[in-house]
Amino acid sequence: MGVIRYFQQFFNRNGLVLSSLLLGAVGFWIVFLIVLPQVFMLDFSFRFNLPPADLGGPKDVYTLSNYEFLMFGSPNNPEPLNVVDLSVFLRTLLAAVFVTLFDLVLCYPIAFYLAKSAQGGYARLMVLSLIVPFWVNEILRAFAFRILFGSTGIINAFLIWIGVLSEPMDFIQADIALYAGLGYAYILLMIFPLYNAIESLDTNQIEAARDMGAPWWRIHWRVVIPFAKPGITSGCTMVFMLSAGALAAPQILGGPSSLWFTQIIYQWFNTGGNWPRGSAYAIVLLVTCIAFVLLMMRLFKVKLGAIGR
Amino acid sequence: MTSQRILRIAVWSYIILFFGYLFGPLILMSLTAFNSAAFPRVSPWECFTIEWFDVLRQDDKLMAGLRHSLVIGLGVVLVAVPLGLAGALMLTQVSQRVRPIYYTIVVSPILVPGVVLGISTLIFWDRLGVMFDASYQSWFYDGTFLTIVGQSTFISAYSMLVFIARLQRFDPALEEAALDLGATHVQAFRKVMLPFLKPAIGSAAVLAFLASFENYNTTVFTIVSESTLTTVLASKVRYGINPSISALAVVIVVLTLIGAVAHEVYKRREQAAERAATLEAGGADMATVNKARAGAIGNPAVAVMLLVFVAGLGTVYFAGTVGVDECKVQVTEQKRRLAEERIQALREKRKAQREANQPTTPEARPSSDVKAKGSEGYGGIFAPDNLKGRAGETDPAGETKDEPRADQGLFSPGNLTGQTGADPKDGDPAEDDPEEAQGYQNLFSPNNLREQSGGGQ
Repeated sequence: MGVIRYFQQFFNRNGLVLSSLLLGAVGFWIVFLIVLPQVFMLDFSFRFNLPPADLGGPKDVYTLSNYEFLMFGSPNNPEPLNVVDLSVFLRTLLAAVFVTLFDLVLCYPIAFYLAKSAQGGYARLMVLSLIVPFWVNEILRAFAFRILFGSTGIINAFLIWIGVLSEPMDFIQADIALYAGLGYAYILLMIFPLYNAIESLDTNQIEAARDMGAPWWRIHWRVVIPFAKPGITSGCTMVFMLSAGALAAPQILGGPSSLWFTQIIYQWFNTGGNWPRGSAYAIVLLVTCIAFVLLMMRLFKVKLGAIGR
Repeated sequence: MTSQRILRIAVWSYIILFFGYLFGPLILMSLTAFNSAAFPRVSPWECFTIEWFDVLRQDDKLMAGLRHSLVIGLGVVLVAVPLGLAGALMLTQVSQRVRPIYYTIVVSPILVPGVVLGISTLIFWDRLGVMFDASYQSWFYDGTFLTIVGQSTFISAYSMLVFIARLQRFDPALEEAALDLGATHVQAFRKVMLPFLKPAIGSAAVLAFLASFENYNTTVFTIVSESTLTTVLASKVRYGINPSISALAVVIVVLTLIGAVAHEVYKRREQAAERAATLEAGGADMATVNKARAGAIGNPAVAVMLLVFVAGLGTVYFAGTVGVDECKVQVTEQKRRLAEERIQALREKRKAQREANQPTTPEARPSSDVKAKGSEGYGGIFAPDNLKGRAGETDPAGETKDEPRADQGLFSPGNLTGQTGADPKDGDPAEDDPEEAQGYQNLFSPNNLREQSGGGQ
């Protein structure tokens, strides 16, 4: 009953044409673009990889085999677990955490400076120059890092010139290029939530703490950071999710021996030709990332609603 | 006072480092577009050239990808902006209780990894196609359609955020007044709401287009057998680098900068115009108003900047086209001479060594044999034995120490033959970047090798 009355109100307020347009558009977006594709992917991940002729036939039944494959590998795998895929998975998550922390440490001072010290046109210029690099294509950004860290790149040339190295170091093999590139890619997503949070802090609070004789690090630790916790959380969430799900940077900057979990998914879809298994892997990635974020939020006592403000 | 100064210096150096990290890679990449070396790099600078822009223009695959990206971007704007607008209007109308759930659902595509969105879109439409028994030519399997739909999933959420920010400043009384005065709902929407949202529609469209244009993670799955600029770029970057990609980056960076500056100028003008209007309304004298208005209309700084930009472009074009061939010939000649000098020095050293070796017993110096064998052909210098010999070598003369090193240099033509086959252990740069070796091969190989084998032993 309540639903009908609610819709009546909605139609009264907007008129018939607008109401149907609004409902149609939002309905299409939520149902056909957001919810159903995920449901279909979930469903698909529980199926066998069948040729088109067998789809819908007697062989088209539910199975857990794709998830089992991620856990235990193929049946004739001598190891008790699917060590290759699982270790890539764990390393991806760890590296994503590392990239997130790196971005947080890197961006916090800049966000604080922008929010509390920079003034007028100067601050605008800084914001503008923060945004400009991010309109450059993701691939090209990764390419820039490949040039920078290549064996004839400027970093190697410099290190050899000052005598730290005698031979060019392979930064790509060592994944340094990858971490630098990933960290670079998500700076903006970290800075803006931080900036928004810190900016809304009353400067008087900082001054009061300073008047009471607190050193600068304690002001940050006890006043600014607790206040900016929602911003920190939403920045970290975005950077973590996106770097765990990144594909371009690992493909271009990853060493030949190190894979990112998304690359394994990509392989199942392209060269592997096993879509159900690829979607099972994608589901595992998605669910683990969400669970990890929720766990962290529980640990740091941030409410879900605080994110995205 | 001094601690204040130290703090200030620390803050400034941090800011400089930070922006160095932000811009350094892009600047370096842009520079490589003007170096004539076949591998994108700056450190051994060869010739200033703009030939890579020509290479870029003639790259049919890339250009086809670019056109396709533009079409897809347009499609995404047409889908995502209305969806975002509807989503934002809906948010203002849903009841307080439903709002958090609704918001979580429509914002979630931003947080879901792009890979997952691409996969789910691909699977969903594929399954629908199977259900309806559609042919493979139908749009269920069409890369363009799938990409527009897949990208719109999260780009709609971006544009919705833009609209929400604008709607927060909307005064609902305006719309109510229009309705009270007898406007229909559609009229009120068209005459009141849309004009109010116009700037937001503009920025949402720009944002949607750019987000679509640079997307890779979702596109690479949904594009199926077609290609966009980013997918072409990705495969290029993975399988073979050359500076024409840097040239593309230069184009994009310059366009972005122009866009940013134009946006800034536009904003300033708007503000200045507003200020002039308020001054006029406040009854200020004409001089102040005109002064404020002058800021809105013509800024000499902008004109100067435009002039500098055009002049810079002209200079780059001129410097990049004139005298490049001569310079290249020179560089090639120089490299050849360098290689020859090294070979000559090597030959002489070896000769001297052989003469010196003759009286001594061969057992005393096991390396000399290997050396002699190596000198038969320059490719043989890199034979694995050679290295071993060098390691065990006890060199009395001392001068021969750097001799194999010199040959190991990238410039030596024999390098290639040695490296590819016989020298798996040596962690030389060329092993990491096969394209680079390729570049050298082009520059050097035919003439040089012939010359060497002819003039060799």
